[in-house]
Amino acid sequence: MSEAATTRRWAVLRRETGRALGAAIIALAVAFLIILFSSKTPLQAFATLTTAPITKVRTVGLWIDDVAKLTVAGLAYSLVFQARQFALGVQGQVYVGALAASYIALSPLGQTWCAIPLGIVCAMAGGALWGFLPGIAKARLGANEIVSSLMLNYVAIELANYLIRVDLTTPNSRLLSTAPFPSTAVFPALIPNTRIDIGLIFALTSVVAVWFALYRTSWGLKLRLVGHNSRFAQYAGIKEAFIIVSAMAASGALGGLLGAMFVEGRSFGKLAVSFEGNLAFEGLLIAIVARNRPLAVPVAALFYGYLRQGAQLMSIRTDVPSEIIVIVTAVIILLVASSYSVKPRAMLAAITRSSRPARTHVEAVK
Amino acid sequence: MTTENMAPLLQAIGISKTYPGGVVANDNVNIAVNAGEVHAVVGENGAGKSTLMKILFGVEQADSGELRLVGEQVRFGSPRAAINAGIGMVFQHFSLVPSFSAYENIVLGSEPRSGIRFDRRKAIEEVRALSARFRLHVDPLQPVRQLPVGQQQRVEILKALYRGGRILILDEPTAVLTPQEVTELFSAIRALVAQGRTVIFIAHKLPEVLEISSRITVMRGGKTIGEIETKDATEQKLANMMVGREVTLRVERKPYNGKVTLAVNRLSLMNELRATVCDDVSLTVRSGEIVGLAGVAGNGQAELIEAIAGLRSVAGGDIAIGGESILPLGVRARRGKGMASIPEDRISQGLALGASVAENLVATRLDDRLFARGGLLDLGEMRANAERLIERFSIRIDGPNALAATLSGGNMQKVVVARELSEQPRLLLVSQPTRGVDLGSTQFIWRILTETRNAGAAVLLSSADLSELLALSDRLMVFYRGRIVAAFRNSDELTTEMLGACMLGLSRQSPEEMRAALA
Ligand SMILES: Nc1ncnc2c1ncn2[C@@H]1O[C@H](COP(=O)(O)OP(=O)(O)OP(=O)(O)O)[C@@H](O)[C@H]1O
Ligand SMILES: [Mg+2]
Repeated sequence: MSEAATTRRWAVLRRETGRALGAAIIALAVAFLIILFSSKTPLQAFATLTTAPITKVRTVGLWIDDVAKLTVAGLAYSLVFQARQFALGVQGQVYVGALAASYIALSPLGQTWCAIPLGIVCAMAGGALWGFLPGIAKARLGANEIVSSLMLNYVAIELANYLIRVDLTTPNSRLLSTAPFPSTAVFPALIPNTRIDIGLIFALTSVVAVWFALYRTSWGLKLRLVGHNSRFAQYAGIKEAFIIVSAMAASGALGGLLGAMFVEGRSFGKLAVSFEGNLAFEGLLIAIVARNRPLAVPVAALFYGYLRQGAQLMSIRTDVPSEIIVIVTAVIILLVASSYSVKPRAMLAAITRSSRPARTHVEAVK
Repeated sequence: MTTENMAPLLQAIGISKTYPGGVVANDNVNIAVNAGEVHAVVGENGAGKSTLMKILFGVEQADSGELRLVGEQVRFGSPRAAINAGIGMVFQHFSLVPSFSAYENIVLGSEPRSGIRFDRRKAIEEVRALSARFRLHVDPLQPVRQLPVGQQQRVEILKALYRGGRILILDEPTAVLTPQEVTELFSAIRALVAQGRTVIFIAHKLPEVLEISSRITVMRGGKTIGEIETKDATEQKLANMMVGREVTLRVERKPYNGKVTLAVNRLSLMNELRATVCDDVSLTVRSGEIVGLAGVAGNGQAELIEAIAGLRSVAGGDIAIGGESILPLGVRARRGKGMASIPEDRISQGLALGASVAENLVATRLDDRLFARGGLLDLGEMRANAERLIERFSIRIDGPNALAATLSGGNMQKVVVARELSEQPRLLLVSQPTRGVDLGSTQFIWRILTETRNAGAAVLLSSADLSELLALSDRLMVFYRGRIVAAFRNSDELTTEMLGACMLGLSRQSPEEMRAALA
């Protein structure tokens, strides 16, 4: 019996890996086509895209640093998605967490040993608050979590911009960032001379923590049951409102942690305007590819982070515009989203056969 | 006469199908359906009926074997291919778009159009004509969400017919219907056959099969056991072929004289539209007693059970367990007082299909120290619990970690029953306990319900199946328009006809007669 379960698990693993690899290969093929049309030296550009991240220790560091951050972002999304709450507030939580960590770092406490632990705790608390708000609004008032979490993203981003300008910069400076943090408030490096710092350890710890919370605690099982069928959860006596709010707050805490990893990490060591470069949002993609499975999140982040880093290096070193990454990302999203809802064979059949577009009907109904 | 005319309309030869988990659902299955017949397929839960139908309809692909349409080999790679070949199917679990109106659901995917525009008027006309022709009356403009189950099913059937289906597969169509609706469905099926269509019909209730079909294929454990002309078949013969042993549907009931466990006092309930659905209802259920609720669907009995379960707010009156009002309590606290509940709809309410069977089996007891201490799950105990219940309730699955979604309908129901009865409840609420459940399992569930009663539970049972109510209940209450209009002590003199007359509001009891059976 357990043998059957094991073989099934392997079959699922193989299938999922196959899908992810398939998506990656097709994405690369599409990237190649685009490069072919947009570059004078397409082969060189493509080589940069696919190999640049591993050519130097420094670029490997950039890649792994991204992976750590993408992992935390992916986990934050996975957690709420498993409860079937489509909260998209990770970006805002990152800003709030970053602000909290920055205030600690730039206060007198920032000069002491407690700068990092305290900064992280405050960042997580701030992020949790930012996740809690749309959660409680949904539980108490029935407010749609997509809308409220996106609104809160803007609030957080503008709040950060404002505070950087009026409160956190050194007087008379026109920089759009704070002064560098004291070294006590910057993560120590794990591997010298790279960007790889203890943020990686936080990311891996988060993976284990989220996996444990979801699959080994009764809270996690309740959360997943709410996600599978909320009517069933109510009928079974599970306090759905509590689960929704706590899931969103816990996810917010991860978002806050990510904020601290950004500003206290070696790549920044300060708070700057638009510091997160849309990475928080890309966690959404990681969560989709990983199917919200915490253990699959770092794997997906590894792949995606590589592509992301390759594209960035390509835009610096060759004549291919950096916008290419946006297109490649969009292609991956499309591929992944469709391969996870449509069977490939059925999709192929639908493409090759001249069937009537179903779209017309939906339009008509509207 | 050519051989073409001799060949069965639709034939499956040597079909085998193993699901990814390793379950052999079909093992060298054969079926031959002739044009113009109603061909029934019977078999216990998990015998592989739905799987065979899904293969005929192109939803699943057989691992081996072949399909023939009028003697010619065909392959259905997708439902689209089967539809193009004139096959339509109504699934055991419907697949309608709730917010769309009936006619939109019916034409969805093959809409009539003028130019590129969707021609609504034409669609509505066509749907009206179709429903008149086959005696399947629905209001085309109503959103499907607001239709009762029986009408939703008509929408499904019309949808298949609209696509030009000449072979119609109905997978357990009667499981969700009231007796009245079954009669209507049968007259529609007769109209279909009279107009040259062919119907494949699956059901667990043998009297229905004997009434409507002309030939029957019997399946057991993934194999076809045989084919029999309906005129040569009897209930007992079929049952023995299906189960492979003798079955009897009788339960022994001990007399009871317990204390009042559940007291409902002058209860009023309103629905979402603030219309009264339960009006001044009072009843009691004693420990060791089964009280049956009879009524045509939509007369308030389902809402009453929801209110007791804590899933519907109360507009007036009181509900008490053991003399204590439970109105202030939530679902969890009520369950803590010994309430258990088997809901009407296992898919939408009774299970989390995406979770494993082991997880489903502990979902109501996640605050129990047995399964969760200090917030941590005891996976070993969860697994042991699942294995125990799978064994005790003979649930057919390949292990506690199987997803609930991969179970056959009857086995899903057993999971729900097993969870709710894993501990002896004080008050048991039961709705439609054997809907879509095979003969052997029906017998089993009836016995379990009776045992639970004998062990001292107060049981409130609502069922659309009057023979089930008569077989199990000690007392019966009839609901009509949100009120109890008749109450009976169960006896051999009480018949389904007497209940039916009260359910339709045709006959009434005097207050004295009613009071005698109410307490
Ligand atoms: N998608 C699936 N994946 C794995 N196993 C499945 C799947 N669907 C069905 N099965 C298994 O295949 C067997 C046959 O199931 P099927 O649904 O065909 O039975 P059935 O005769 O229709 O039963 P019921 O009367 O309960 O509806 C069952 O053991 C079931 O658990
Ligand atoms: Mg079935």
